[in-house]
Amino acid sequence: MLSIFAETKGCLYMQITRLVKSVVSRTTLAIGDGANDVGMLQEADIGVGISGVEGMRAVMASDFAIAQFRFLERLLLVHGHWCYRRISMMICYFFYKNITFGFTLFWFEAYTSFSGQPAYNDWYMSSYNVFFTSLPVIALGVFDHDVSARLCMKYPLLYQEGVQNLLFNWVLILGWMFNGLLSSIIIYLLTANSITGQAFRKDGQVADYSILGVTMYTCVVWTVNCQMALSINYFTWIQHLFIWGSIALWYIFLVVYGSIPSTLSTTAYKVLVEACAPSILYWLTTLLVISALLPLLSYRAFQIRFRPMEHDRIQIQRRRSESLERDVAQSRLSESSETRNSSDLPAEVRIRIDSLKASSRRKNS
Amino acid sequence: MSSYTPSSSAGGVGSADSAAPRRNSKRPKYSKFTQQELPACKPILTPRWVISAFMLVSIVFIPIGVVSLLASRDVVEIIDRYETECVPQNFRNNRVSFIQSDANKTCTRRLTVTKHMKQPIYVYYQLDNFYQNHRRYVKSRSDSQLRDNSSWNDVSSCKPEDDSNGLPIVPCGLIAWSLFNDTYNFSLNNQQLAVNKREISWKSDRDHKFGNDVLPRNFQNGTLKGGKSLDPTVPLSQQEDLIVWMRTAALPTFRKLYGKIERDLQPNEVIHVTLENNYNTYSFNGKKKLVLSTTSWLGGKNDFLGIAYLTIGGLCFFLALSFTVVYLVKPRRLGDPSYLSWNRNPGGH
Repeated sequence: MLSIFAETKGCLYMQITRLVKSVVSRTTLAIGDGANDVGMLQEADIGVGISGVEGMRAVMASDFAIAQFRFLERLLLVHGHWCYRRISMMICYFFYKNITFGFTLFWFEAYTSFSGQPAYNDWYMSSYNVFFTSLPVIALGVFDHDVSARLCMKYPLLYQEGVQNLLFNWVLILGWMFNGLLSSIIIYLLTANSITGQAFRKDGQVADYSILGVTMYTCVVWTVNCQMALSINYFTWIQHLFIWGSIALWYIFLVVYGSIPSTLSTTAYKVLVEACAPSILYWLTTLLVISALLPLLSYRAFQIRFRPMEHDRIQIQRRRSESLERDVAQSRLSESSETRNSSDLPAEVRIRIDSLKASSRRKNS
Repeated sequence: MSSYTPSSSAGGVGSADSAAPRRNSKRPKYSKFTQQELPACKPILTPRWVISAFMLVSIVFIPIGVVSLLASRDVVEIIDRYETECVPQNFRNNRVSFIQSDANKTCTRRLTVTKHMKQPIYVYYQLDNFYQNHRRYVKSRSDSQLRDNSSWNDVSSCKPEDDSNGLPIVPCGLIAWSLFNDTYNFSLNNQQLAVNKREISWKSDRDHKFGNDVLPRNFQNGTLKGGKSLDPTVPLSQQEDLIVWMRTAALPTFRKLYGKIERDLQPNEVIHVTLENNYNTYSFNGKKKLVLSTTSWLGGKNDFLGIAYLTIGGLCFFLALSFTVVYLVKPRRLGDPSYLSWNRNPGGH
């Protein structure tokens, strides 16, 4: 629903906005550029101010500021779509990673007769959300795209994903939480049953409490970061650095923390360098957490195949049309200049061109 | 909702009005980072990727599983549970009073070697239902006292085993107080089998956590003895049994290293074990087991890792096959724009 007003007094704007909000009960966006729009901008759920000939007062009262009215299109279709996806995914993922971490503690408690002994050293627990899993979330929340800006503008109905709340509904939230629960169960069972009991190294040493803690924590950090790598669709050097860097940071932390005197490092003293790193079982148990990634991978493969969302379809179409353009360019180069008509193009390329032509005809009709 | 034709302008944010003179332009400086146009790779889960990923996992995991299982099968282990049988018949109904009495607690056991065991053969004692990972138990120690003779007085974290008869206990705490005190003597063909009890603990513990100037003092001096007594002339860094015991175990069923036998054992040899059944596990229905085990490159005997790898590898193989079948049987042209929902319902939502 779109309403346009002009040359009206500022307080009337505000009252109209209030009325619309109460009657329609949807998210409202107001856009304006003058001082008389300030009330309306603040009353609406989202206020967009235009900086320009009428000064900066509207900009100061707004949530978003743009320079020209026509930028509104890009603000909504590109940035609005991206931000919706980023925020929804970030919240779901944040719950997921903390549930995975917290439930491993809980399963361990069952084996300490619920006495409250944490499975991990205090410093590991404090730095979980600060050092080892925070940067990838920032990479997701700030940089992720599913579809490029050009395609967002080309397919404006993609914006409906946000309007219909397709990426942040109870099914998805509970699904991520369930994934966290499942990951924590897999990690706990695999680690506790592989490492404890018998000797875990060739020299006959047995894994004690601190080694179980380190192994489980390593598995949690790997699982949580690899789930992030599976969920995002856009890998720049920033994402690679943050995701793989967080995992590397955990090992570096273990080495550094383990080398400070045992007055401070208590149970973590030399735990990686002396105890875990020479143990092949430790590394093999870490590799086994790939199994914790299988549920999400299978679900995504299944979903893309049978019930793809709009942005999935557009991504795949983009990939195909890119390869089609490459094929067409290739065939033009290889053909001689006289035989330029389409009947000499390879059959598959011809079929693809026809289908793209048909679809654009359908769109324009 | 009516159909929407996309606007033809692809104006980027910050693209200035072309009619305005350049020198007044407020356009921010372009950078790939701020415009979010960094070179990126955008992977998509196409059928090829999905099937390759699953196949790769199964190709890597199944051999690892087989190798781990073989390594575990190579390990020879002899386990002997003795806490019930080492109590004489007339005390079977009242084992707690037996263990707390002064009766003779020597017990002889026979272990038969089934397969050739290469040295070193590790001797462990295994306890069940003993919660060394209980919070109050784990807290009940004083690391500073263990490390340094000058902190012999630092017993605050060790309650209730902090002092007795007014003097602080060194080493204090429940963990040290409950030190395991069964002993084992092995003989083969009437010849003593030597058990090497040196270097059974972690080197970092011996060098940095247990001081070589700290001597036991006032230890097990109270009315209730919890376990082994310590020789007051031997510094803590050489009391390897104590060091091994104080590394608290992760789960209620655990093994701790007792020593190493440094000779091979042949199949069908019979080892006689003379053990002192001193430790009281009867108050909490714990089990005591004596374990002799060799090790492989992977460690001790545990089929779990091998089986887990094989299971997951098999599962991935099955998933790869089923996805292949699905993609072949019902090939859907992904990327066909006619499937976009707004193209399928041109009339609206």
